[in-house]
Amino acid sequence: MSETPQNGGYMVAAYICAGVIYLSYTLALWLRARRAVRE
Amino acid sequence: MNDQLARARALLSLGGWITLVALLGAAGVVVLALQFTPTEVSQGLAQKIFYIHPPAAWGAMLAFSLCGIASIAFLFLGDLRLDRFAASSAEVGLAFSAVMLTTGPIWGKPIWGTWWDWDPRLTLTLLLFFLFLGYGALRNAVHDPRERARYSAVVGIMALVLVPFIHLSVYLFRTIHPKPVVLRPDGPALPPEMLRTFLLSVAVFTLLYVGLVIMRYALGLAKDHAEALAGGEDV
Amino acid sequence: MADLVRIAFAVAAKDLRVEFRTRSTLLAAAVFAALILVVFNFSRDPTAVPDSVIGPTALWVAVAFAAVVALNRGFILERQNAAMDALRLAPAPRGALFLGKMVANLVFVLLVEAIAAPLAVLFFDLPLTTAGWGLPLLLVLASVGLVAVGTLLSAMAVRTRFAELMLPVLLLPFLVPPLTAAAGASQRLFDGRPLSEVVGWLRFLAVYDLVFVTLGLLLFSAVIDE
Repeated sequence: MSETPQNGGYMVAAYICAGVIYLSYTLALWLRARRAVRE
Repeated sequence: MNDQLARARALLSLGGWITLVALLGAAGVVVLALQFTPTEVSQGLAQKIFYIHPPAAWGAMLAFSLCGIASIAFLFLGDLRLDRFAASSAEVGLAFSAVMLTTGPIWGKPIWGTWWDWDPRLTLTLLLFFLFLGYGALRNAVHDPRERARYSAVVGIMALVLVPFIHLSVYLFRTIHPKPVVLRPDGPALPPEMLRTFLLSVAVFTLLYVGLVIMRYALGLAKDHAEALAGGEDV
Repeated sequence: MADLVRIAFAVAAKDLRVEFRTRSTLLAAAVFAALILVVFNFSRDPTAVPDSVIGPTALWVAVAFAAVVALNRGFILERQNAAMDALRLAPAPRGALFLGKMVANLVFVLLVEAIAAPLAVLFFDLPLTTAGWGLPLLLVLASVGLVAVGTLLSAMAVRTRFAELMLPVLLLPFLVPPLTAAAGASQRLFDGRPLSEVVGWLRFLAVYDLVFVTLGLLLFSAVIDE
């Protein structure tokens, strides 16, 4: 391979996607569970 | 009965702390991957998706397998706690699969030249994703706890049994339609720094699985408690 | 063992007798399958996608959807008459009940295919004589697998409010292995390849059928009994 392909955009997109999914699921789960154990 | 709620609170707290540690660890892994791990020259920065995609796949497979095993155990032992665990693992598995199914195509485009090519692992995960969405829908639609547990166990076991068949049929499908591989995702051999970051990532996301499942279990426990109070004796 | 078969036969016979008194569902399923074939024909460019390619595809899609229609009707009938409770109270081995329901569903699906397959051959000029006995064999093997899985799943889906939606959602992933094998094998047969070349796919279908029928026999009790 003569030169490194400039595909950093994909890396950023993937990391952001993963982060958003993990964080929003965790937050949603936390809120649901907190509400359930309060009742 | 209130003791059940107290237990749920304790579990939620435990799960919450483990999850927090795991998330901090994940942040650390991200920094490690981006700043302190060498970039693969022939593949560019996109190769770094390697540090989040396979760990997500691992998390999903772990989650779904444990759900299947717990389902079998439930049918033999009848312990509703097994059902509660199976449901928790299934839901967390959906989250990990979602990550895997989004990062997969984003990784595939620069490395394999195409967003999706019915690759065995992605296809299997996609089908399991639909299956466990159905599993969740079925659970929502059945209100009696024991009936719900039995039905979920049946679907969980069927899912487990289905896996080798999907794997084989996708493999058969692809041998008819081979796709050229433009670049190999992990290169000729994995240099030690890359291996280190990768293994750390797997460890961190496994911990995240554990934390999330405990939290989800706590939620299930609290909901079952509320259901039992509301329903009283069921027929 | 003879008891098992006898009971299964009785359950199947009852189901089929009820179905054929009205015959409406069979007709509806057959028309639905025909509709799928027609839609496939018109939703492609015939110069780009030849009949020989779209034909087998359309056939297997029609088979899959006809199976779903058949499976839905199987248990809705039960639910309407609370016949499920009577079934549950019967001191019959659950495996026999599963077998009976499965056989009834299978007969129904095969009848729909008996209408859909000739239509597909007709519409897409499929070389039936070239494919020979391989095609009916494939149809039967694929149907057994679909029906085994479908009977087990529809017994559960029918207890939910959105049964007609729940069943396809649960069933979809299970359709992939049999459809893949059947489509791959039938394409080869239509291309004139000998039966010996598709033995691998046939074996795959047979194993799938064996595994899921067995699983159904084992798990039906968990679905029916409290």
